[in-house]
Amino acid sequence: MSTYKIPVGPQHPAIKEAFQFNFELDGEIIVNVKPRLGFVHRGIEKGMELRSWVQGIYLSERICGICNVPHTTCYCIAVEKLHDVDVPKRAQYLRIIINELNRIHSHLLWLGVLGMELGFLTFYMYVWRDRERVMDLVELISGNRVTPSMNFIGGVVYDITPKMEMAIKKGMDYLEERTKYYKSVVLNEPTIKVRTENIGVLNKSAATDLCAVGPVARASDLKTDVRFDDPYSSYDEIPFNLVTYSYCDVFARVLVRVDEVLESINIIRECLDKLPSGPIMKKLKRTPPPGESTVRVEAPRGELMYYVKSDGKENPYRVKIRTPTLANIPAVCEMLKGYHIADIPAIIASIDPCYCCTERILFIDKARNKRWIWSHSQLRKYSLEWYENGGRR
Amino acid sequence: MTTISREEFILKELKLAFNDKILESRIAAPRYIYVTVNKETVIPLVKFLKENFGLRHIVTITGTDFGEYIELIYHLAIYGRTLMVNVKTKVPKDDPEIESIVKLLPGATLYEREVHDLLGVVFTGHPNLERLILPDDWPEGVYPLRKDWKMEGT
Repeated sequence: MSTYKIPVGPQHPAIKEAFQFNFELDGEIIVNVKPRLGFVHRGIEKGMELRSWVQGIYLSERICGICNVPHTTCYCIAVEKLHDVDVPKRAQYLRIIINELNRIHSHLLWLGVLGMELGFLTFYMYVWRDRERVMDLVELISGNRVTPSMNFIGGVVYDITPKMEMAIKKGMDYLEERTKYYKSVVLNEPTIKVRTENIGVLNKSAATDLCAVGPVARASDLKTDVRFDDPYSSYDEIPFNLVTYSYCDVFARVLVRVDEVLESINIIRECLDKLPSGPIMKKLKRTPPPGESTVRVEAPRGELMYYVKSDGKENPYRVKIRTPTLANIPAVCEMLKGYHIADIPAIIASIDPCYCCTERILFIDKARNKRWIWSHSQLRKYSLEWYENGGRR
Repeated sequence: MTTISREEFILKELKLAFNDKILESRIAAPRYIYVTVNKETVIPLVKFLKENFGLRHIVTITGTDFGEYIELIYHLAIYGRTLMVNVKTKVPKDDPEIESIVKLLPGATLYEREVHDLLGVVFTGHPNLERLILPDDWPEGVYPLRKDWKMEGT
């Protein structure tokens, strides 16, 4: 029996998926996994308490580089709940559009990363090329490619003009065609299938008990999506499908995300067609009255929750953030059990953590009393070579 | 026959089962209920929700420092995660101890460790209450999310 440790990128657990996995191995097979988090804990919850309500929007936006829009949406809705107001209808629809653009960009980014993890670099290059199109649309709306700073307490900052509407619709047509093509690649390409099918299985009851969220839960046939369960920001007025698959493996997680991109494209089209006229912002006082509110939104990675408490002063008394990756860590530990070292990249990637932080991996072979450190790229190389040489087949 | 909302129905059932052990309760918004109980009642309440309302999902546990005491909020989701019951309780700051709910809800493991790490609440019966977030060389008994802990230079 031997053990090895993996620090998967140090950050706040609720934020940039900073964790270390301590693996217990029996030869090549993973027997047990223990997570350890918090390597670059940035103390954002404490930082929120030291800043004003408005500064909080921009701090929450910087929690995650990829899914920054759901964070500001969630924070702004929570503060608006304290004010006890609803934002104008047009602002709610614009929020849906920017959230779905964010989801498309996040899912495509992930699809590319998965291609890279599997050693399918052409796929990665193509997907990321098309992801640029979404970034261009976000830039067209807000002037920024990654962090649009769209949400504000009381509404949104940027409006969508008819000219932008045309550009977005054109972009959606292009993305729909490309995403359908990627879906056919995923369904037919043996390179992807052999590395994802029946790998990292998480059955339905385990997913429920371990409180898995988002695409991970939906790939285990769990019908859960905050946009359905707890509609916010007029999501209840937009018809769309809840994507679930019952294969419960990495392959199902790929399909859920690809299908969700297609759903998001339809949601954006629907929103543009139904876009109500009127103001995009309701002016509110800078300081909300005392009170507390809990809000959940569906981020690309799953259920995101903010709890905000105000004591009537100019800073929040408490802001609690629970991001989806933290919720999925117990699930990923369960998924890894019984699989090979070579499957680790694909399984960990399948919950969509932020991979930019992945640096090094420490292996401890207890039996031989040997220690060595592998970087993520070395692990990836090992995994690719292992499969090239036949792997388990 | 008058129809009552799901939220009212749950509050009615909780009050029937727990009487005066429910110290405070309110419906904050559609799908959001807040219930305040003593720390001894948390376990029976979670058990009750699990047996009668199919509770399987915990969103997180929020801890807030209020000077004399630490307030814990268990954000629970029932009815297929569509309705949130936020169970509030208080633990005294000089003896912050409460029974762990991990046996009832395995998904709470990391959330209890997080609260333990940052606010110093001890969850008795937790299988593995190790450090989760703070570095290994962080001094014992210093809890950064408590209000008396100040960041350097602020």
